[in-house]
Amino acid sequence: MTFETGDRVRVLPAQKPGHVRTPGYLKGKAGWIESVIGAFPNPEELAYGLSGLPERPLYRVGFRQIDLWDDYRGPAEDYLYADIYEHWLEPER
Amino acid sequence: MGGSPGGRIDRGQHEVEDWERLADAINGALGAKGLQSTDQHRRAIESLAEYRDLSYYERWVAATEKLLVEKGVLTSDEIDERAAEIDRRWNGP
Repeated sequence: MTFETGDRVRVLPAQKPGHVRTPGYLKGKAGWIESVIGAFPNPEELAYGLSGLPERPLYRVGFRQIDLWDDYRGPAEDYLYADIYEHWLEPER
Repeated sequence: MGGSPGGRIDRGQHEVEDWERLADAINGALGAKGLQSTDQHRRAIESLAEYRDLSYYERWVAATEKLLVEKGVLTSDEIDERAAEIDRRWNGP
């Protein structure tokens, strides 16, 4: 596992063809590692009948809603949590 | 919807129809037989050209058909012939 709970991360802004489990609206957004979920076969490969191995670390990543939506009018402590695979994350500087 | 604005959300409940239960059951059976996985099914759903025009379970059955043809389990002709046969039995010639 590259990241630990509390680490600041950013979702890669990559455009990858085919099946991905990373929501488009989170690409390029910064958040934090809420928890380490574990390691699982890569669904981006399982989707094409491949083994998905080696297993990829999966994290629950927290985001502030006001960081996600330009016109968000709710409280600053409204959060969104998403499960993101490690290969979609980079350290936030 | 599908990463694009989709308008207002219909929060109303609707009765699950028999064919929808059947679609769900077939997916479960194909999964248990190792002929289809959730990730493969999701990938097939996303790749449907008519994605936006279909209801939830219409997408499920269209994606299942696509996967079974892709894997060589059934041919499109076999599925169409069988569907026509059932239609005749149900609605008359």
